[in-house]
Amino acid sequence: MTGIASETKQNEMGLSWGKAALLSLPMLLLTALLLLHGHNLKDPLQAIAAGITYLFANYIFFKMLRSGRTHRYRSIFFVAASVLFVVSFLANMFEMRGTMELSTANILDGEAPLCPLVIPALLIPAALTQTIIFPGSMFAGYAGVATMIVLWIGFSLAVGRGWCSWICFFGGMDEGMASLCKKPSIRSFDQRWTYLPWAVLLAVVLLSAATLSPAYCEWLCPFKTVTEYPAVNSLETGLQAVIFVSLFLGLVIYLPLKSGKRTQCGLFCPFGAFQSLFNRCNSFAVRIDRARCVDCKICLKECPTFSLNEASLAAGETRSSCTKCGRCIDRCPRGAISYHIKGTEFLRHPKTARLLFLYPAFIFMAVIGGGCIFGGLLRLLKLLTTGSMIG
Amino acid sequence: MWEGFLLGLATGVTCLAYCSPVLLPFLLGEAQDVRRSAGLTLQFLGGRLLGYLLFAVAAWWAGQLWRQSGLMREAAMGGIYVLLALLLLAYGRGFKSEACAGQMVKKKTAAWPATLGLLTGLNLCPPFLLAFAAAAQTQTLRDSLLYFFSFFIGTSLYFLPLPLLGFCRRRAELKTIGRLAALVAAVFYLYRGILMMAGGLIP
Repeated sequence: MTGIASETKQNEMGLSWGKAALLSLPMLLLTALLLLHGHNLKDPLQAIAAGITYLFANYIFFKMLRSGRTHRYRSIFFVAASVLFVVSFLANMFEMRGTMELSTANILDGEAPLCPLVIPALLIPAALTQTIIFPGSMFAGYAGVATMIVLWIGFSLAVGRGWCSWICFFGGMDEGMASLCKKPSIRSFDQRWTYLPWAVLLAVVLLSAATLSPAYCEWLCPFKTVTEYPAVNSLETGLQAVIFVSLFLGLVIYLPLKSGKRTQCGLFCPFGAFQSLFNRCNSFAVRIDRARCVDCKICLKECPTFSLNEASLAAGETRSSCTKCGRCIDRCPRGAISYHIKGTEFLRHPKTARLLFLYPAFIFMAVIGGGCIFGGLLRLLKLLTTGSMIG
Repeated sequence: MWEGFLLGLATGVTCLAYCSPVLLPFLLGEAQDVRRSAGLTLQFLGGRLLGYLLFAVAAWWAGQLWRQSGLMREAAMGGIYVLLALLLLAYGRGFKSEACAGQMVKKKTAAWPATLGLLTGLNLCPPFLLAFAAAAQTQTLRDSLLYFFSFFIGTSLYFLPLPLLGFCRRRAELKTIGRLAALVAAVFYLYRGILMMAGGLIP
């Protein structure tokens, strides 16, 4: 029964081969402009990396349209982008500095690339002191402050907290680990822990304003473990390193593997909580058709970021923390969950609503994730052909 | 006296920024109505005033030693941070059990915000150091106390809107967030406190 219902739903949301191909054409053109532009395609390695990235992105988009499944294909691209981001980022760091360590000199020279996770903590100090409390460059170098902030504003306005499932290169690590869990041994979390990201957000924003330094980066960021970290040369930096590694092992590796949930994103990330605010002011949402819903609660079990609970299910909507990943939509056996455009009649044109969401979300994913995939692939190709990723 | 008030007025935003990691989670955690929030803010400010005045006296009597020994100052400030962290931890740990935390706060309701205020009042934030430098140049203990008092009045004006958080009283979620944020801030102060103590005691 469940299988039949699921198939019916796939037929509802999936498109015919011809329609899917036709609707993929704009994406083929846009991604050609966005992914192939700016590379030296006369260099065979760059041409191969760019070609693979381009074909991979468009294959994923076509499959999303053809099959009607969003999460399944998004997840493949998202996780691949995240893994290759680490490869590309670390290779860049080793090329620039010869180490993952961020020295005092690097900080004084403003060489740290801006990580989006720090953005909420920059706002109050910027308003109070008209300065950016981050040791990065405004325009120059890798991930300049201005570039990242413009990208963040654009994407946040377009799809709100969709950022966390369509663009965040850190979220892909969490999602990749969670997807490896086939039989969860941790089945439930106290609902109150889902407020922890808000508490971390409140604390780091206030502490950053108090100390005029990015408090989250200095002592709480799990992803320092796989990107860059302050040089360990004192008790303080040693303690920081222990905190970073412990948080990474606990929130990004152990808990996702044991629970199948994105615990870093759902139970800790302050930037995710901040992005939830944008869910209130963008056009797209995920809604539940109460007439079709049979309260099987599969969506509650499947949601990787704890964005559905009994109350939200009864209200026919997700919580504000929904990352629009599409997993509940894919897994609902009754096809009762769908993307929705606010201000329009619910379920009037569900396919159109999905398509209108997929275009902006996928374009941003292709730009950022595609960049990560290209960068990572290029490094791997260099490794294969020259024996070294750098140089 | 006017100088102290104006200095407080000029640097009050920074002062608010320093105190808010402690006060805001507490107010959110306790938000019941505007009147109660105002009461808690006043208690916090009372504690903070006491901290300022104590510091003015201590600075007057033991100022030379305090200023000469940077390591001792680090260790002492570290100790204050650790105390503050322990208080916040004790407050925040009640987030999972509303009844327990409610009883705990009910019993000690007057002591909590005042003690937190006292400990943040003893905090050497930049505006405080400015006031300290200016007060140290006054001729008498009375002048020093007056200077710190007027500085306190100037900075406290920025705390006036905080009781409006009481309008959030219907949101149980905010209480949980406030208590959890107190835990996160506690971990931060504990970490900073231990590092400062280690830096002060182990030169």
